[in-house]
Amino acid sequence: MSVASSENIVVRSLSQIGDCGLFLLRMLAAIPRSMRHYRETIRQLWFVGAMSLIIIMVCGLFVGMVLGLQLYDVLSIFGGTSATGTVVAIAIYRELGPVVTALLFAGRAGTSVTAEIGLMRATDQIAAMEMMAVDPIAYVAVPRFLAGVIAMPLLTCVFCALGIFGGHLVGVTWLGIDNGTFWSNMTATVEVVKDVVNGVIWKSVVFGIVVSLIAVFQGYTTPPTSEGVAYATTRTVVASSIAILALDFVLTAFLM
Amino acid sequence: MTDSISAKPEDSALVRVRGLTTVLNGKKVFDALDIDIPRGKITAIMGPSGTGKTTLLKHITGQMRGDAGEVWVDGHNVAELSRDKLFELRERIGYLFQNSALLTDFDVFENVAFPLRQHTELPEVLIRNIVLTKLQAVGLRGAAGLMPTELSGGMARRVALARAIVFDPMLILYDEPFVGLDPIALNQVLKLIRTLNQTLGITSVLVAHELEAIKQVADHIYLIANGKVVAQGDPKTIANDGSPWTRQFFGGEADGPVPFQYPAGDLGVSLGFPGKNA
Repeated sequence: MSVASSENIVVRSLSQIGDCGLFLLRMLAAIPRSMRHYRETIRQLWFVGAMSLIIIMVCGLFVGMVLGLQLYDVLSIFGGTSATGTVVAIAIYRELGPVVTALLFAGRAGTSVTAEIGLMRATDQIAAMEMMAVDPIAYVAVPRFLAGVIAMPLLTCVFCALGIFGGHLVGVTWLGIDNGTFWSNMTATVEVVKDVVNGVIWKSVVFGIVVSLIAVFQGYTTPPTSEGVAYATTRTVVASSIAILALDFVLTAFLM
Repeated sequence: MTDSISAKPEDSALVRVRGLTTVLNGKKVFDALDIDIPRGKITAIMGPSGTGKTTLLKHITGQMRGDAGEVWVDGHNVAELSRDKLFELRERIGYLFQNSALLTDFDVFENVAFPLRQHTELPEVLIRNIVLTKLQAVGLRGAAGLMPTELSGGMARRVALARAIVFDPMLILYDEPFVGLDPIALNQVLKLIRTLNQTLGITSVLVAHELEAIKQVADHIYLIANGKVVAQGDPKTIANDGSPWTRQFFGGEADGPVPFQYPAGDLGVSLGFPGKNA
């Protein structure tokens, strides 16, 4: 790859980030106007939130089960299997819960939001709204953005609950760790502010904003062609995944 | 600029385009274009593909702005309107998209009710009555519960028309309303356009290629080519106009002022045959 093409990629990426930031400002300015479309926000909350529940619950359960199994195997070497519940909880609260939920959300809800808005643009539905004097930012973009921001922390909580249940299922029910030890060690070690608020709440809110913004922006700005929609959908997953993992590091560094 | 968007000027032309010049991707689409759309009449905009007929509609509705010139709608310079005033103006304009542009999440009833729900606080009973009346006008009251994917092209066009007239607009812009319609649906749409114009006094602008259909409804025709109006008049005048533009366009001749071929180099060179100088 030549230096010139590398520079082009950097300039294009920076330009996209700038456009995305301006789009966020437009959405924030349109929030008061979108309040009258609160039914649309609730409808979108159902689509991006409730409809993502199954995948989040199933994945949360299996992540917790795998974590319980692996930790039991490693901790048994040091005779510390009683700490399984604690480590499962901390790993899920601090990292796996918000990060895996955000990645799953980007793949399931983010792509559908991008494709939906992109197709609305390709079939002139966005232009039709403008012609009907309905602001598409307030009616289409903001409800989907807000729905994502609201849904992400809730889905993260569900993921964490199912993850810990999965860890308990493997550790206690299957491998025979004492039930009282599992829970008491966990509740004694896990801190509400450091692990739950900083880990689950803050991270999931930030990831919710970022993933929803990327999904809505990509859909709204996609070229109105089938190829354009396909590329935009792919870009949503790629950009969201990179943003989630990079931001996770930054947030962890600040919140620790 | 007039303060209130509902102010009615003493102007017989509802839409006045003056010196409109638009350059898109380095190509001059309009070159100091002048057009008047009279109130209460049906005006057809015709011309070869790519002459900017749809672009002209976008200028009228403020979706696009020209590089020079002015577009006045009901006494308002569209380019100078604020976003709120522009939306206020658009509430009084119906726009029929080429591909109908129905909202795919909603059924036919909700598509027609959409502008009413967005801009009014009317009770549900009244909304229902208005929507069913409009659907009855386009012959689709029985299809109120269908989804857009269950409609044929002609039906979708008529639903879009019902949506466009739900506010009884002062102006309706039809972008290629006859494309893909069978003769029955085409006649229905023609009848609807004429009825809406006669009963409600709605000013209509038709962008279309179908001369026979246009002749049946249009009061005035503009023929646009090379960014300018090359011929205009009532259908009879236009049909008898002997200019090379009208002869070629309405006669469907390949040779004339409008080139059939998009500008390109020598065919022989493109095909790899040796040129004269080889």
